[in-house]
Amino acid sequence: MPTFRQVNRLSRAEPAVAILIFMVAVTLAPTSDAQDLYAYHPPEELKRLSVEQLLDVDVTSVSKYPEKLSEAAAAVAVLTQDDIASSGATSIPDALRLVPGLDVARADAHTWAISSRGFNDIFANKLLVMIDGRTVYTPLFSGVFWEIQDTMLEDIDRIEVVRGPGATLWGANAVNGVIDIITKSARETQGLLLSTGGGTEDRGFAALRYGMKINDDAFVRVYAKYFDRDESVLGNGDDAHDEWNMYRGGFRLDWDPTPQNSFTLQGDIYSGDQDETYLVPTVAPPFSKTIESTDEVSGGNLLGRWTHNFAPDSVLTFQTYYDRTVRDSPIFGEDRDTGDIDLQHRFALGEIQEIIWGIGFRVTHADIKNSLNVSFIPSDRTLSLYSAFVQDEITIIPDLVRLAIGSKFEHNDFTGFEVQPSARALWTPGHSQTVWASISRAVRTPSEAESDVRLNPAPPVPLPPGLLTIFGNPEMESEQLLAYEVGYRVQPITAVRLDLTAYYNDYEDLRTVEPLLPGPVSPSRVSNKLSGDAYGTEISATAQVTKQWRLQSSYSYWQADLALDRGSHDRNTVSIDEGSSPHNQFFVRSILDVGWNVEFDSTLRYVDVLPFPKIPSYVTLDLRLAWSPLKNLEVSIVGQNLLEDHHPEFAPTFIGTQQSEVERGVYGKVVWRF
Amino acid sequence: MALLTAFARVLAKCTLQTYNGPWIFLSALVFFGELKASAETSPSPEYQVKAVFLFNFAQFVSWPRQTSEGPLVIGVLGEDPFGMYLDQTIRGEKVNDRPLVMQRFRRVTEIKACDVLFISRSENDRMDQTLGNLKGRSILTVSDAENFASRGGMIEFFTERNKIRMRINLDAVKEADLKISSKLLRVAEIAR
Repeated sequence: MPTFRQVNRLSRAEPAVAILIFMVAVTLAPTSDAQDLYAYHPPEELKRLSVEQLLDVDVTSVSKYPEKLSEAAAAVAVLTQDDIASSGATSIPDALRLVPGLDVARADAHTWAISSRGFNDIFANKLLVMIDGRTVYTPLFSGVFWEIQDTMLEDIDRIEVVRGPGATLWGANAVNGVIDIITKSARETQGLLLSTGGGTEDRGFAALRYGMKINDDAFVRVYAKYFDRDESVLGNGDDAHDEWNMYRGGFRLDWDPTPQNSFTLQGDIYSGDQDETYLVPTVAPPFSKTIESTDEVSGGNLLGRWTHNFAPDSVLTFQTYYDRTVRDSPIFGEDRDTGDIDLQHRFALGEIQEIIWGIGFRVTHADIKNSLNVSFIPSDRTLSLYSAFVQDEITIIPDLVRLAIGSKFEHNDFTGFEVQPSARALWTPGHSQTVWASISRAVRTPSEAESDVRLNPAPPVPLPPGLLTIFGNPEMESEQLLAYEVGYRVQPITAVRLDLTAYYNDYEDLRTVEPLLPGPVSPSRVSNKLSGDAYGTEISATAQVTKQWRLQSSYSYWQADLALDRGSHDRNTVSIDEGSSPHNQFFVRSILDVGWNVEFDSTLRYVDVLPFPKIPSYVTLDLRLAWSPLKNLEVSIVGQNLLEDHHPEFAPTFIGTQQSEVERGVYGKVVWRF
Repeated sequence: MALLTAFARVLAKCTLQTYNGPWIFLSALVFFGELKASAETSPSPEYQVKAVFLFNFAQFVSWPRQTSEGPLVIGVLGEDPFGMYLDQTIRGEKVNDRPLVMQRFRRVTEIKACDVLFISRSENDRMDQTLGNLKGRSILTVSDAENFASRGGMIEFFTERNKIRMRINLDAVKEADLKISSKLLRVAEIAR
């Protein structure tokens, strides 16, 4: 393995190579609009679109999806139901490993670190995640408890991922990316579906859904699922004591009483047990001890949405939801209730402009149970968030140049008003290529933890707690990003699609942890004294080699150069922020229809070293063989992480849990629809 | 397994830890350029979208009870503009437990069982005669021939600003004892 220094040296040269590739590709790419360059949308792709989306397909261009300009002029990737099913993933985080450029690492059996464009962590805080329009990141640490984000995987329509800032439309926290998980409408999930199986890591799972028609305009579905996952292992092969299980159920009702109105009502409840081993501080020598616990998590949500069409090009959406999460562990407990109201209106203004605007209000209340290890002051807190946004999409030259400008305006309880503008331009020379560029500003507002926490880590050597305490800082400012992006999409021949993006991110006021005393042992306080830049490129390609064989591959590169501001004495943040995401990632995936109703899918992934936490690079292979003996029955066998007995992907941060490793796993599964 | 591991590692090292990473994509591009696209005989995007609409119509229209048995037939009358695309679109699909099948007709008199009928532009000259012949039958008629809806057809496709639009003749739909879902009506123009 090369040393870190070598890796850095090699990595630095690669953007130049990427730019060269970009130029070559542009030169080679056909620019004429000859007949044989017509876009080919596989029927499966178009069939997934709603009637509205079909009507929005530009039938003269190559545009893959009926994208809104704001999305077309961004680094967007879509994971479809077929992609998820053929990957063999049994959880949303594992499915996200197949999104080009996304950085997914599992820290233990039920803890993931997921980020885009760097800064990965278990408490990663620059990504906005939504499920059917409901924001699921927690204001506790501005990140996501991934293990509680789940639904019936077979009912997911698609997962849309925007890498880079999406703050103008989505608001604070959409700094380095947005993930939107969208489930199918109840109309599309009729009948009974049973999916069950088990294996070595996924010890047992079962999911049942039933969808029925109430009348010609109303459809409903209900589902219930359960899974039990095995514990992972420590580096030496010993059991890691992190097994877990979860029950979940939910429903979705879609009702279209008149041509102008449609209503959706949906909800979920869940409850799970997660084993964990904590290293916690104690007041008496040796000032630390190990405790094994079974943490309990539960929660639920209810969402209602009303869409009203004044005209095909004037649509009003009103959405409201309530979300509750409860968590109980020996070091921390939280009861959180969140309510949210959003109103959004999109309409055409004359021939060349489309306006989209919206307002929103969110209130969240948390009641926190403190421990010596983690405490919050105050432990009972209510936060409000007011927001508004407007964006104008302008056609400058029909079918050639479009522009979108807009801004989000938000008011939060920590930093007050925040403005997050963006400008995006799209150029579509010829029918088979798209060039886009954007400049946007996004902020990451402080979390409750950064304002209110008192964190006493278990000391590495016998030291009384308090000497290493990290204090939150109510004066913490927002982290700021100014992002410059360019992208190029081309379909050189009908069966091949290429997508290239490059970005330069300029960060200011990133979070630091400032020691309060000189010397090696000191309590510290959260502050904003880190700045710098990050840059990288993401390339993905899809090829329909034959009717039966599809290949997909992706490569991404990321590099950050950060420096502490004058007056900062922070010790670790630079190495953590520069080193917790891989410089290089690569995957190639093959989806092959063998014939005789047999499908064979394989995925090979490479993830570069993480300098901090120190994790070696790894290569993994997943295989899936599926057979449909009957039209409504599918039997499959899936092997995951086949190349090694176990490998580490991430390490604990802030909270003293054990570093555990991902094991090889094999499971069998049966899906029956009737 | 050990061999596979070794191979994968060597592959990854050669390609990623040297300068070669992005070149994979160029090689891939060149490689795939050599292969002929699978979709060379596919119709234009316009007809790809229209084919998928025909498939959607099968879900958004309800037929009177007595005719809604056996396979649901999507027919094309006249010159077929879809190539194999419509066949691919409906292959293996079912609506309300009725498997979808596709049939091509040269003359209107050949049409026995049919639920959705796309009338090609090639039939433009004898449209009135064709529609007259279909009168009283519960067949959803669809076409992109000009003024189709005002001539007594049910769903007319037209193109506006590079996008497909629909015009629906509700009287003709009612007369055939069909019901169209509000989902479809919402996005269509109603012919008067």
